Amino acid sequence: MNTPRRPDQDLERLLADDGGEFGALYRRLPRAEPPRRLDRSVLAEAARAVHGTRPRRQRWLVGFGSAAGLVLAAGVAWHVGHEALRQQSPEAVHGTPSYVPVKPIEAPARRHESKPAADAASAPAAEAPAAAPASANVAAETETHAAKPAVEKAAPSQRRAPAPAPAAPPAAPVAAPEPQPMLQSAPAPAAEAEKREAFGAADSTAASAGESAALSKQAAETVPKRERATGTPALSSSAELRRDMQLAPELWLARIQQLVKQGRRQQAIKSLQLFRRAHPDWQLPDELRALDR
Amino acid sequence: MGAEKTDEELMLAYAGGDLLAFEMLYRRHRGMLYRFLLRHLRQRADADELFQETWSRLIAARERYRPEAKFTTWLLQIAHNLVIDRFRRQRPQASADETEAVLRTLDAPESEQPERALSEFEQRRRLQLALEELPEEQRLAFLLRIEGGLGLEEIGEITGAGRETVKSRLRYALARIRARFAT
Repeated sequence: MNTPRRPDQDLERLLADDGGEFGALYRRLPRAEPPRRLDRSVLAEAARAVHGTRPRRQRWLVGFGSAAGLVLAAGVAWHVGHEALRQQSPEAVHGTPSYVPVKPIEAPARRHESKPAADAASAPAAEAPAAAPASANVAAETETHAAKPAVEKAAPSQRRAPAPAPAAPPAAPVAAPEPQPMLQSAPAPAAEAEKREAFGAADSTAASAGESAALSKQAAETVPKRERATGTPALSSSAELRRDMQLAPELWLARIQQLVKQGRRQQAIKSLQLFRRAHPDWQLPDELRALDR
Repeated sequence: MGAEKTDEELMLAYAGGDLLAFEMLYRRHRGMLYRFLLRHLRQRADADELFQETWSRLIAARERYRPEAKFTTWLLQIAHNLVIDRFRRQRPQASADETEAVLRTLDAPESEQPERALSEFEQRRRLQLALEELPEEQRLAFLLRIEGGLGLEEIGEITGAGRETVKSRLRYALARIRARFAT
């Protein structure tokens, strides 16, 4: 190493793979290494740089997910609201409700319905509805609110049961048709006008038994379709009365007669009192005149 | 599998999020970079600081790395730029005495024969002193060659000098070192 060499020779040796003699000497110098704390610091920074981008993506995903959730919730809410509106009757939606006529329930089904709760009250009416004596109706005044739900609960099964051959007359007693309070409303003007045309000219005193039966049937047909379809429980007594008040006079009287035949004399009297107030000049049928006294 | 990968492949893998690739790359070059900085700056504190700063810059620029550039060239380029900035801000540089004090603190290899160790120690000391006495550009060229293993073109790329200029600097550096050994 002390022998002088040409600079070009030294350079060639330095540029060789082993770095020549100076390269060898340099490699024997203390091999300083970075402190461990620097290693930890650098590696931690490298990890932060890599992982630091992931939370950003996650935050973006969270934001996107939240927005998607909101859109989904809004869509579901809109769909549910739309369905609710569609399920309501068009009349309820547009403020012109009307009752949808339905077929009366046959007597055998009625017998099945009334047995659990009010045998004494409903059995005579079911077996001999048309000729139900007044004395039997007096006994039927024992009808209470407690018994009524039991009767009404049986209504869906009664509706589902296939009716036997209709041996009973058209005015066969039916379970009191009562609409839901939220949907209860006056009859459609057009329908009511038709009914007035049909019955307005008729003298109530001259109404035959057949006409009375027809009216009873028509009154029974005022049960809202929705109530029958859903099997919702019937209304309370006062709600029934409010609904009766919205009937045409002829239908109202038919409804009262129906109540009498059902043995619901007390309800019939209340309804008749209201009728008298609403139509003081209306001439009552004979059978209702006795009830009015 | 990872050990067989080139530096460039590892760097690209790290840019893609592979932290293990960075750890391999770091193990390969941590010593070289640290020694380059220490011998160039002659201050442990400065070397520590710029060592960390060099890796930080590399990490931050990982997505801009292109494999056309040799990884060590890129790494040493970053380090060199930082050193230049430091020199501009911190003149005058450390004295020769301070440099020798630092170099004495570096651990010597073990299991050396006493006579040879003395001889080796003297030789190393002379080399270290010779390196300290070199002009900055010559020392840089020598360190890039001997520590970084770079060729003439790569040294010129980092320092911004032409090939012949680099050769000239290396020639002068070798002559000065040899002169130190001749005394």
